Amino acid sequence: MSAAAVPRLPWFARVLVAFVRRELAALGGYRMAFVIRVLGFGLAIGSLLFLSRFVGAAVNPHLALYRGNYLGFVVIGLLGTEFQQVGVSVLAQRIRMAQVMGTLEAEVATPAAPWMVLGAPPVYEFVVAAIRSAAYLLGAKLILGLDLSHANWSSLLVAVPLIVAAFSGLGLLAAATTMLVRRLNPVAMVIGSLSFFLSGVMYPVTVLPAWLREVGRLLPLTHALAVLRGALLVGAGPGDLRQSLLALLVFAGALAPVGAGMFAYALRRARIDGSLSHY
Amino acid sequence: MIVVEGLGKVFQSPAGLRDMLRGRLFGKPVTALADVSFVIEPGEIACVMGPNGAGKSTLVRILGGLLLPSSGRARVAGIDAGAGTAEFRRRVAFVVGDERSFHYRVTGRGNLHYFAALHGLPVAVARRRAGELLERVGLGAAADRRYQEYSRGMRQRLAIARGLLGDPQVLLLDEPTLGLDPKGARDLRAFLREEIIRGAGRTAIVCSNDPGEARAMSDRVLFLEAGRLHASTSPDRIEAELGL
Repeated sequence: MSAAAVPRLPWFARVLVAFVRRELAALGGYRMAFVIRVLGFGLAIGSLLFLSRFVGAAVNPHLALYRGNYLGFVVIGLLGTEFQQVGVSVLAQRIRMAQVMGTLEAEVATPAAPWMVLGAPPVYEFVVAAIRSAAYLLGAKLILGLDLSHANWSSLLVAVPLIVAAFSGLGLLAAATTMLVRRLNPVAMVIGSLSFFLSGVMYPVTVLPAWLREVGRLLPLTHALAVLRGALLVGAGPGDLRQSLLALLVFAGALAPVGAGMFAYALRRARIDGSLSHY
Repeated sequence: MIVVEGLGKVFQSPAGLRDMLRGRLFGKPVTALADVSFVIEPGEIACVMGPNGAGKSTLVRILGGLLLPSSGRARVAGIDAGAGTAEFRRRVAFVVGDERSFHYRVTGRGNLHYFAALHGLPVAVARRRAGELLERVGLGAAADRRYQEYSRGMRQRLAIARGLLGDPQVLLLDEPTLGLDPKGARDLRAFLREEIIRGAGRTAIVCSNDPGEARAMSDRVLFLEAGRLHASTSPDRIEAELGL
């Protein structure tokens, strides 16, 4: 069968499968790094347990909305941040690495459309991040006694695609910027720092002054965390979370086309200035 | 067939401190190619020669659709090289001798499987084709070794195998024997010319700095100097005409 006859989605599925196989083959050489990463996250969760005991011991009105469950609050905050990190950083990092290594030029010289070449890594990383997050939540529940008894899983099912779409849009913007400036990801640095400060990762946004809360509402992570915590800790249904879900929908609807357009421009610039293979 | 008409390429160099202080966004423009025109007939093998910085790599990258020209145009296998269509990338393969273009921790076979997927080949076809090509380029026994364990010659051969995955009409080879020992280079040239290009009726452009390579592989030599086409001659005449 010639490539010309292959519809695009099955073609992308083949690229994705080949990409995953390649990643897994390469992963064999990074076993120690994998173990260290798991250990690192385990230690982080362990330290959160003691932090939650310390914070949870006090009567804290800011945590009342979350049934005083600081452990759940902060674990979800960190997992949401990691999800954002995957979206904002992975595509940009992969492109920069592929530019530096020289693989990008060889990949875009194939008949596959650039979106197939560059779409496989984020899809793979989001799936891995989702599996990792589920494992961490399960681990936190079994080992640390994280209370997920009120979770509303249907809200989660509605929220996750919107969160992924919003973060992917940001990722396209970040990747385009990285290609254009040929430096490490400036968008990820700015968005990452602002989100950690204003989105309520470690503390509820209610502790922020009102004007800072308003600034925080301009960040997708703020709404992603509101939805994830509402669904997992409070058991809120999609109707209760509609404001944040709508905000995520707007972010996804605005960022994805803008990011895709900017990325197409960056790719064209790379073909003009010869930076597909650049180091 | 390759038709090149008035091709030019000017790169904007990054602005230095002095440029920025003068309010300029870019440094002095660098002309890599200027008004280059030629035609390569179907089945012909042309060797592009010239000193370092003459514009050889820029030319083949434009012909491979990886770089957009600043002026002029190039049609390769009947399609405008700047169009960037999938059909163009199917008909034209750019074989780069750059050993950085593979994944180091993956086997030669694994690398080819990945690129076969980018060519849209179904898994079973991809496996069969990768196996055939690895045998054909003499890497059958080393197919399941990691790329990082390959010698330079093996890496070049794997790059050629990758270029053939889509069975292209036109091959663009950028210094295919770079860094190989004399015997390895001689064998690879004969293999490329007789089996990969002539044997399959392909058209090819080979970039090289080596007059011996031009004589052994090509029907015609295009000599670039400072981005301009200085001469177009027969390989037998390069010593007389170009002093090489």
